[in-house]
Amino acid sequence: MTTVHTYDVLVIGAGLAGMRSAIAAHEHGATVAVLTKVHPVRSHSNAAQGGINAALTDRGDKWEDHAFETVKGSDYLGDQDAVEILAQEAGNDIIALEHMGVIFNRNDEGRLGTRRFGGQKRARTFFVSDFTGQAMLHVLFEQILQANIPIYEEWFVTSIIKDDDGKCAGVVAFEIRTGRFALFKAKAVILAAGGLGRVYEPSTNALICTGDGMALAYRAGAPLMDMEMVQYHPTTLKGKGLLISEAARGEGAYLLNSDGERFMERYAPNMMELASRDVVSRAEQLEINEGRGVNGCVFLDCRHLGKAFINDRLRQINEEAKTFANIDLAEEPIPIRPGMHYQMGGIKTDVDGRCWDIQLHWKGVPGLFAAGETACVSLHGGNRLGANSLLDTVVFGRRAGKCAADYVKTVNAINVSEALVDIDHDLVTSILRRPSHEDTIAKIRLEMGQIMNRHLSVFREQEGMTNAQQVIHTLKHRWNTVGITDKGHVFNTGLVNTLELGFMLDCAETIIMGALTRKESRGAHFRTDYLDRNDDNWLKHILLYHSTNGAPDVDYLPVRITQWQPQPRVY
Amino acid sequence: MKYAFFPGCVSKGACPELYQSVMQVYPKIGIDLEEMTTAACTGAGVLQEKDPRLGDVINARTFALAEQQNLPIMTICSTCQGVMSQANHRMTTDGEYLAEINQILGEEGLAYRGTTNIRHFIWILLEDVGEDVLRRAITQPLTGLRAAPFYGCYLQRPTEALQFDQHPDRPKALERVIEILGAEVVDFPGKSRCCGFPILTINEKNSLNMVATHTMNAKSHGADIMVTPCPLCHLNLDGMQAKAGNQQNTAIDLPILHLPQLLGLAMDMDPKSLGFNRNFVSPHSTLQKLATVVSS
Amino acid sequence: MNTTLRIRRFNPEQKTPAPFFQEYNLELEASDSVLDGLIKVRETLDDSLALRCSCRGAICGSCGMRINGHAALACKTKIISATKDSQTIHVEPMNNMPVIKDLITDMSPFWEKIRQIQPWLQPSTPIPEAEHVAPAEAMNHLSGVMTCIMCGVCVSDCTVLEVDSKFVGPAALAKAYRFVADPRDDATTRRLTALNEPGGMWDCTRCMECIQVCPKGVGPMDRIMSLRAKGIDEQLPSTTGSRHAEVFTDIIKNKGILDEPMLAVRTFGFRNVRRLIGMIPIAIQSFRHKKIAPSGPLHRAIPGIDQIKRLFKRASVENHTFRNK
Repeated sequence: MTTVHTYDVLVIGAGLAGMRSAIAAHEHGATVAVLTKVHPVRSHSNAAQGGINAALTDRGDKWEDHAFETVKGSDYLGDQDAVEILAQEAGNDIIALEHMGVIFNRNDEGRLGTRRFGGQKRARTFFVSDFTGQAMLHVLFEQILQANIPIYEEWFVTSIIKDDDGKCAGVVAFEIRTGRFALFKAKAVILAAGGLGRVYEPSTNALICTGDGMALAYRAGAPLMDMEMVQYHPTTLKGKGLLISEAARGEGAYLLNSDGERFMERYAPNMMELASRDVVSRAEQLEINEGRGVNGCVFLDCRHLGKAFINDRLRQINEEAKTFANIDLAEEPIPIRPGMHYQMGGIKTDVDGRCWDIQLHWKGVPGLFAAGETACVSLHGGNRLGANSLLDTVVFGRRAGKCAADYVKTVNAINVSEALVDIDHDLVTSILRRPSHEDTIAKIRLEMGQIMNRHLSVFREQEGMTNAQQVIHTLKHRWNTVGITDKGHVFNTGLVNTLELGFMLDCAETIIMGALTRKESRGAHFRTDYLDRNDDNWLKHILLYHSTNGAPDVDYLPVRITQWQPQPRVY
Repeated sequence: MKYAFFPGCVSKGACPELYQSVMQVYPKIGIDLEEMTTAACTGAGVLQEKDPRLGDVINARTFALAEQQNLPIMTICSTCQGVMSQANHRMTTDGEYLAEINQILGEEGLAYRGTTNIRHFIWILLEDVGEDVLRRAITQPLTGLRAAPFYGCYLQRPTEALQFDQHPDRPKALERVIEILGAEVVDFPGKSRCCGFPILTINEKNSLNMVATHTMNAKSHGADIMVTPCPLCHLNLDGMQAKAGNQQNTAIDLPILHLPQLLGLAMDMDPKSLGFNRNFVSPHSTLQKLATVVSS
Repeated sequence: MNTTLRIRRFNPEQKTPAPFFQEYNLELEASDSVLDGLIKVRETLDDSLALRCSCRGAICGSCGMRINGHAALACKTKIISATKDSQTIHVEPMNNMPVIKDLITDMSPFWEKIRQIQPWLQPSTPIPEAEHVAPAEAMNHLSGVMTCIMCGVCVSDCTVLEVDSKFVGPAALAKAYRFVADPRDDATTRRLTALNEPGGMWDCTRCMECIQVCPKGVGPMDRIMSLRAKGIDEQLPSTTGSRHAEVFTDIIKNKGILDEPMLAVRTFGFRNVRRLIGMIPIAIQSFRHKKIAPSGPLHRAIPGIDQIKRLFKRASVENHTFRNK
């Protein structure tokens, strides 16, 4: 007997986007459940340290300024209608978060205080010390508890199911603790499963960031968009690639090369260290490549900020520096380098989180929604501004939740066969039956991560990427035969990691395809064989569809431009 | 070596045998004590529940008095030590806070400069007296005695205030002293856990459960006795042991010695002069075991 | 450096499941974390080892486990510090919660207790249109508690939970403090009243294990003490615990030194005949063992008590802010 759970709206993932959408769907009258492979407060939204942007118009900021800087930051690949929504609605969402209990930093008058972040001329980043993501995540979890929304904690989704009309009808998932499968019937599924950082090695991302949402949607027939736009963060630690927040530079830290020179003067004389991330990362990599680094790193210098200030505003970052690099920021500059951090691309959605087009300009999956890093609205285009990702999760998480709650009122009860569970159950059984031998999922993942970091990083070119494409192709074959030692059903982490690796290989393939397709340099996608931005040919999005016979199918969508015509991008 | 001696309320009250035994022992190891008769109770963490800063003011006064005497402080109670260490840590790592405290003290003509060194008797044994002098004072090594250490929370945590980093002997000071005295250390999981005393009046069942857990555990690891540098632990582990045993339907019968009582035994002192008659759980069996070992 | 990880394993799917220790020998850098070591075991020696881990940066709270006898985050524990005494590192699942498999524990009792304290802001109404105006200092103070990542490490090593699974525990109490200390929250009295019940804030034994092991500097026990102080300030119905603190303070104020018999009698209350009768056997025993100081059972005030009294008065008029350092 198959266990069946039925809800109007099922949210996959319990980070900020997932929980925000669940609360919104609940408030709009839908029956909602959240299904997540880790406990909600373990989600990677935790890692967002620096803050959340908003132009609060009642204190003299203009939403248009925020929107323009976001569009400029995106290297004009962001859809401007979406960016306008983001900037216009940000203020209300910040206030809503405050009302829920987020302990945003205050100014002397007890009102919300701000700090400055990269790519922006004005301080409009609201924050909680330097653990803003964590402070928000825990508060949203509190709200989920208060609303009594059921959480399927430590459940793993194996596929999205569709009914005979091709509409999304729910998911198949198993409980990690028992290995038991169940069918979740839902009229709407919101994918909020986060990023894909582990496709790269190293990455700032947590080990759970394995592109599950993107791969699930892609396999179900929804398009992925702008997958080539992978952000390298300018300040990551050597080794495992842990992140040092942009808050450090926002609060005034310098970047120095091995000569002790503030080299950003040569790359972005106005914005200096606070130019867009793609610009700063490229500058750093050039300094390193031209011999002005030390052991593959340049330096982040906070010493002039003073001990007291660092303790007050950059406490966690300093803790992290002490623990993981053995450096006290108040006393020594810390070696940093660009490191893989964020996927600007993702599951194509409209401004309400729909993964299908109600005007039918592009193909998608009705009933499927996405929000957060999994999704691509597109806000961030070629490069995301710091402190826009938290904002993305709450604005578009809320919108997706509301839209899903409205949508489910228009569709009839779900009718799908319970036998769909058997397909995934059989796959898992076959994985468990494979003998374990010399090849391991760890080896495959490492090879994938390294080749991606070599050829799909700050600087890219045709030959390297083609090479990576071939390697991923081979790795996919190896994945089909790799076995694990644990044959059990209870908390089989090897099994979970195997399935995650399958998702990641799909993601890697689409990143490479997008990058090979886009023959220009824009935002984070910088090709040494196509040095310039080419608005005539490439001011457009790249859509990738899953095909059963090898490479992804490519399609294009125009960038939606409202009021800001593309200009040269100077910081 | 002279110390401003802070005996603590309990050694002057419910555990007179602790005061009695330390007074017997200290002259034998070349230290000198000047009792602080005007110093107040540390607050024992209880006063701090009601008003933490008030606790720091009272302790700053004690430290200031020691500064006037130009002497380091010696305590004989884990709790006194811990509470004082924490207070001192707060004040010496935060100049602004110390100034705030001194403003209150100032009106009494007192000031604390932050220089007082506060140490428990057991640390002084290892850090000042030293192993050699201590060994020379031992006339009756406790060979064959199996002793389980029980520290008391305040002598183990938080390690920062107790300066474990600068003093690597401190975390295992009790084991070290037991070895020097010639006895065998019985390691068991509860040695740095809580004795339960602070909740004795609040949740007696839990408190006695802790007593039973640790004493029975030490016994099952082969301990003849348990030794503690904390009189509050002693009050519970010794004073409440019979009741704790009743709660588990068993007689535990593990003698609990104060640290100076154990030292006195190794110095061949008369058990009565060490106040052994004041222990609830009779150490008679221990004394007999030692006597047998000595005569054989 | 050559390191041995001695890991307590448990497979519930074995015919007769029983925990056992398994040793893995491997080369690790001194600067590596214990988590790096465990991942290396899983990736190169034994892929069946089950553990939770995610962020590697002490922010997600997944990898709580006992390392050399004390609970810690594996990602925050360096090999160099874990091998100070021996090149073998003992790794076990957290305490005070059931083990599911290897290093993975069942945290549902933990979450149940978090839920028990109603962990959401209950602001007064009407809610302002813009943000609540709140003192910057109050929000900064709360950020010291909000850094809690709910890893369970404090709960694992809590000495009270070891003997009483009904105790609400350090993590939930710290979380409760986060709301009690929030100027925007309107449920302070209701929250404190609930925590005033048995199993609540007065059941903590102040052993400081939670302060010592907390990987985020939350200092759960300090928060519990602050809750108690607030409970006393709020003049909640008195409990043995609150009377104990009040009477203790009063005795120190008036005598400078503690009177144990007086403390007990006044804590239970002169009219609490049952508890007072309960004290008689101990009193008789004390008498029989001559556990009475030469000066008698009740102390005289110490010399200089007038100064103590004046300091009490002066210190408590001042503005109260508790320092955690």
